[in-house]
Amino acid sequence: MLVALVFSLLAIGAFIAAGRTGRRDLSEAGKRALYATFGFTALATISLVSALLAHDFSLNYVANYTSRSLSVPYTISALWGGMEGSLLFWTTLLTGFSALAIAKAPARRSRLIGGAGAVLMAIAGFFLFMVAFPGNPFAQVTGDVPIDGNGLNPLLQSPGMIIHPPLLYTGFVGFSIPFAFAIGALFTNRVDDSWFVATRQWTLFAWTALSVGIVLGGAWAYTELGWGGYWAWDPVENASFMPWLTATAFLHSVVIQEKRRMLKVWNVTLIVLTYAFAVFGTFLTRSGLLSSIHTFSEGPIGKYFLPFLALLLIGGLGMVAYRLDALRSENRLDALISRESAFIANNVLFVAAAFTVLWGTIYPIVAEVSSGIRLSVGPPFYNAIFTPIGLAIIGLTGIGPLISWRRMSKGAFWRMVRVPLAAGGTTVVVLGVGGLSSPGALLSFALVVFTATAIIGEFVRGSRVYRRRDDLGAFTALNRTIARNRRRYGGYIVHLGVLLIVIGFAGNAFKVERRADMAPGDTLDIAAYTLTYEGVRTATTPEKEILEARLSVSRGGDDLGPMRPQRNLHLAQGQWQSEVAIRTNPIEDLYVVVTGFDTDGSAVIRTFVNPLTWWIWAGAAVMLSGMLVIMSGRAPVTVTSVKRAPAKRAPAVAR
Amino acid sequence: MEQKTAPAPDRRRLKFLVGGSLIALALIGLVVFAMTRPNATSFYMTTTEIQAAGASEPSGDVKVNGDLVRDSVVEEGITTTFDISDGSSQLTITTDSTLPDAFYSDSDVIEIIAQGEYDGDTFTATQVFAKCPSKFKAQT
Repeated sequence: MLVALVFSLLAIGAFIAAGRTGRRDLSEAGKRALYATFGFTALATISLVSALLAHDFSLNYVANYTSRSLSVPYTISALWGGMEGSLLFWTTLLTGFSALAIAKAPARRSRLIGGAGAVLMAIAGFFLFMVAFPGNPFAQVTGDVPIDGNGLNPLLQSPGMIIHPPLLYTGFVGFSIPFAFAIGALFTNRVDDSWFVATRQWTLFAWTALSVGIVLGGAWAYTELGWGGYWAWDPVENASFMPWLTATAFLHSVVIQEKRRMLKVWNVTLIVLTYAFAVFGTFLTRSGLLSSIHTFSEGPIGKYFLPFLALLLIGGLGMVAYRLDALRSENRLDALISRESAFIANNVLFVAAAFTVLWGTIYPIVAEVSSGIRLSVGPPFYNAIFTPIGLAIIGLTGIGPLISWRRMSKGAFWRMVRVPLAAGGTTVVVLGVGGLSSPGALLSFALVVFTATAIIGEFVRGSRVYRRRDDLGAFTALNRTIARNRRRYGGYIVHLGVLLIVIGFAGNAFKVERRADMAPGDTLDIAAYTLTYEGVRTATTPEKEILEARLSVSRGGDDLGPMRPQRNLHLAQGQWQSEVAIRTNPIEDLYVVVTGFDTDGSAVIRTFVNPLTWWIWAGAAVMLSGMLVIMSGRAPVTVTSVKRAPAKRAPAVAR
Repeated sequence: MEQKTAPAPDRRRLKFLVGGSLIALALIGLVVFAMTRPNATSFYMTTTEIQAAGASEPSGDVKVNGDLVRDSVVEEGITTTFDISDGSSQLTITTDSTLPDAFYSDSDVIEIIAQGEYDGDTFTATQVFAKCPSKFKAQT
């Protein structure tokens, strides 16, 4: 029954793609068909969710990913816990976003809407095909209907896992909108700025969702997986990172197109790349091509995705080439010291980073296909790449805002950079004297301080005008500065957040690890901490058997209280799962995992001290608040409105 | 906005080409540098392949994969010794590192990936990964 519904969607999707090539009446008809597509897809999703909640184990999907003992939120989250459901979820998001974007787009631009709608529906058609045939979540169980299901993988039973995947999907899918409008614009030869102006909010929204999703994924890995880290350059992590990198480049380079009418070809190319990377990410997790913790099992899905991806890339880039003449820049780069060149350098770095990640991710496949050698690419490769590129980007983040558009004299440039340079230099001296000798860390911290000073300088210069002219207090003036130009200052806030995250990354270089087999009463010293193992406590719940290591922690004789890492046997899956204990503060995290118990009551304890990790989560919260500032403003703020409400305070972001 | 007082097109194009190639070269250099870092890439072998290849280079970092042999696991303090098999040969692995939770799962097949050095007899792993397919879905 439900399958039939999905079938009908397919027909509608096809009709739309065919019908929407131009005229206004057609575009209205297409709109209605699009809404219907969304309606039926949503209906399918609702049916699946209710089947999950009703424990309808006659459906293969329900039986595979849930069980009766699973709590309601996790039962719902099983919607994206498996391959078929996650594809359906993807499709629903896509059709929902398409409906919203098309409904909100100015109706008089019917040609642009037609082009964009056709692209969106073609994509939706592909995904609907996937959920209707090879990846149908409504497939029936063969044989007897089981009494209880397999249950959700305990690793996925974590609050972070309820929101991490939907956010990533939202990010991935969100880029469909600017992509479709870009291609639509090329298709209909309306290659002015309207395609990205119409989709600016979508781009920002998708980027924010993707960023938060990535950070939450890191937080999940940190608190659930128990290896003391948050990022492992796993192929699937890379898959979410590559579109993020190109999207970040895109966010920056559209500013140049807007202000200076340059880089048009580049921008369309970037959005095509971003979307291709997003689809590639969706594909990697489902193809069985690379194995990783994230991958769903090998299925029949991969062989459909590759042609689709090829079509996206060839079609997208082909359209760019076809309209190359219409995409000529209206301006040229005037001088090397100019904000344009800083933006271009930023773009080159981000895109270079994306392609090196791509290289690292697919190199194992290339090597196996070309020479039969099977190998893997590990973190040292990525670290060697990202240290120089990352530091260069950080430095540019500081320099960019200081230089003006078009050109700038060397003297003026020097006046702008000397204070931040001095601050950065002072940092090196202070930390050097303080005993920090690693040149990499010194350089990182110096660049962070340099850039932070430069950005804070921008806020000071901006608000000084208001303080002088309107005689305002420092805080009100700062608020007004931000409210007047939310895009600019919101962007600076995002940059400050990035700097905090970099501090967290730099701290990672100083992590310490200890591991020991401890009998009750034994102690373990790590950094300034002493851990004392007191014994094991056991308990049983319907879902799991709990084994808890009871530890007390002290530092320099001061008792810091207990820490209780657990190691639990989840009964439904017969699977062991560690629960980490973390004591966190801005200076360092004490991270404790128990990796095994012996019958005599001793326990194997693994512990880390991770300096400055707290700043990663804090920085992410700052980034998010900066994005909210940007998105709370309407597109380009006009200077006419004299009285404006002070900037909405971005809500404190609870993590 | 329409002013175009830049240098002659030819010179601009040359500059662009030179600049672009410099960037490309720097990038390729960086990638080559990164690929040759210690442990940046490691070979992946089955138990049969590694035994045929013999002892790995002292600094060499190799990955070997196979299925865990159920009753071979011996734990002593923080050291664990176990065998893995690819169906035609077995390899003994010893490690001081933490074993992932999936290692202890009661699933029928547990895929192991061990990273470390092989001395021609025993494989000493610095890191062990485990994956049980049943966590997600029966493999076809």
